[in-house]
Amino acid sequence: MTNRNHNAVLGLLLLTLSGIWTWLVMSTIPAGFGEGDIGPRAFPLIFGLFLAALAALLLAQSLRHRSDQRTRTAPDDPAGSPILWLPAALLLIEISAYGFLLEKLGFVLATPLVVLAVMGLNLRIRAPKLLLGMSIGTTLICWIIFEKALGIYLAHGSWINLG
Amino acid sequence: MDSFLNALALALTPMSIAAVGFGTLLGLVFGAIPGLTFTVALALALPVSFSLETVPAIGLLLGTYIGGMTGGSVSAILLGIPGTPSAAATVLDGHPMTKKGLASLALGTAVIVSVFGGIFSLIVMVVSVDLVSRVAIGFGPAEIFALVLFGFSTICGLCGKSLLKGLISGVLGLMIMTIGLDAIEGVPRLTFGSVNMLQGVNLLVAMIGLFAVPFIIEAFSEKPHNRNAPRPIANVRAKLPSFDLLFRNLWLMIRCSVIGTGIGAIPGTGGAIAAFLAYDHAKRFSKTPEQFGKGNIEGVIAPETANNAVTGGTLIPLLSLGIPGDPATAIVLAGLMIHGIVPGPALFMNNASEVYGMYVAVVLAYLWVLALQLLGIRVFIHVLKVPRELLAVVVLVLCAIGAYSIRNSAFDIYSMALIGVAAYVLVAIRVPITPIILGMVLGPTLENEFRTAMMLSEGKMDIFYTSPTALGFIGLAALVIILQGISELKLKRKNGRKVQVSDA
Repeated sequence: MTNRNHNAVLGLLLLTLSGIWTWLVMSTIPAGFGEGDIGPRAFPLIFGLFLAALAALLLAQSLRHRSDQRTRTAPDDPAGSPILWLPAALLLIEISAYGFLLEKLGFVLATPLVVLAVMGLNLRIRAPKLLLGMSIGTTLICWIIFEKALGIYLAHGSWINLG
Repeated sequence: MDSFLNALALALTPMSIAAVGFGTLLGLVFGAIPGLTFTVALALALPVSFSLETVPAIGLLLGTYIGGMTGGSVSAILLGIPGTPSAAATVLDGHPMTKKGLASLALGTAVIVSVFGGIFSLIVMVVSVDLVSRVAIGFGPAEIFALVLFGFSTICGLCGKSLLKGLISGVLGLMIMTIGLDAIEGVPRLTFGSVNMLQGVNLLVAMIGLFAVPFIIEAFSEKPHNRNAPRPIANVRAKLPSFDLLFRNLWLMIRCSVIGTGIGAIPGTGGAIAAFLAYDHAKRFSKTPEQFGKGNIEGVIAPETANNAVTGGTLIPLLSLGIPGDPATAIVLAGLMIHGIVPGPALFMNNASEVYGMYVAVVLAYLWVLALQLLGIRVFIHVLKVPRELLAVVVLVLCAIGAYSIRNSAFDIYSMALIGVAAYVLVAIRVPITPIILGMVLGPTLENEFRTAMMLSEGKMDIFYTSPTALGFIGLAALVIILQGISELKLKRKNGRKVQVSDA
């Protein structure tokens, strides 16, 4: 997808977002009483409308450029890089699973599992020594530094707890 | 004087010295690794600072900031890849120096001029923070609203390549910050009845997500054959430049320090812009401009002096007005507020000894930079050989620890992941993320001051246009946006014309 298509999609998405936002704000937040009381609704509402205007501008700009593009290839503002949806989605799942496991198994058990998963799935590393070293090493060093030396609470598990 | 002596006592405890040293080391390492910036280091250091006393905590953050600014030059000089954007200009002459076999001299000079720029800007900062605070102490809610609006529009206008995308990003940040309990009337806003949402989106969680997660995704998706590519790092050390060399370039160093401090004081600019301006300035006024780009030492001195002078410059609006100019200072601001220090005109009245403690911490950080870079560079460059994707695995674990430790809740880890992936998509389509974070930082002030002003004036807008100060700032905000818009239009026209010519 070209940069301009990105911009058009972004414009459309933001326009939708601002529509939903403004509707939610109007229907759930009470207005102020007037006489100097602006109320909690005014600012979210103004921001929503601002976003709608800016998104519409972006959309219009990208559409106008696209019609220009048919006749000539104009130099772009620096083109965006391709979006790697799969690695991004995978990481989203992994981090969320990490959060879930932290509460259930605690830091000491959840961390090596997640490190193993990340190294196996995302990086496709198969060297057993590296896998073992990284997962145990990272866990142990973080546990010693944060929990023991700095006294920062690392998650303890609710299903099982190793401290 | 009493508070200064008090501050010395606070800042020179073994704990403070160690915290500043640890921060500096962290910053140097993160700054030196391309792709990992000191902003990520700061976001990860912030949760650690919770467990420390005030001055060591701030020292840790300032050390990270300063170390990071300096560390970027190492990979710029040795590998030709800037470790941080602010070291991009250093590549131009620093890397050719390495090719000529002068890497040690380039590294040594970079350290010395960085310290010079940093200390110079610290002195300017100490004087100007006091002056600006004295002026700003008389500001009421209307003036503060206008001032924040001005700072914010500068950030949106200057930090990206497109004004429109900068503004969009800024408004998104402002919107995110309205989620949660309304600070004035206690009404829940867009919380969907969730208790977790009542406190709103946590700023620190958002920062970790915004800056660290895109790095992790990018590091993970590098092609395997690009990984583990042997990086030619010669056996180097930092060689101190001769007095003669420094003395010859003293005037250049002073001018570049002024450029750096000045640029740093403008919100939304930062190290990269200052370094390129200084490089350009040095080239223009050099007796041998033709040697620039071929390994001229002046081309290392200028950007390295300027980017470190930025550190003092950015702290001026932060401490005197409470306006952070870039994500790094926004994190320092968050760290200050967590320890009960609210930057702004009243800072000196309430927290004089902590502020002096910060000044001492900055000096300490530069001493650490000198010691670590000059003595430890041999060990330190081995970090550059560690594969990026393995570092990313460690960063992933650190992110989770950071996000979790803020409220001991997995909800924050989920939010971090979501915000991080969204940030990755935004970065990929060239929407700047700095305005989001600064919108989140400045949003509550903007709203609360406006609402307080309207309560004071009983709903009459004239409170804004009868105050010359408020009117001035609002005018400046409009001017910044209009000028930026016009310059972008001009650029587009110029590009358009070029194409027509080439088509013909």
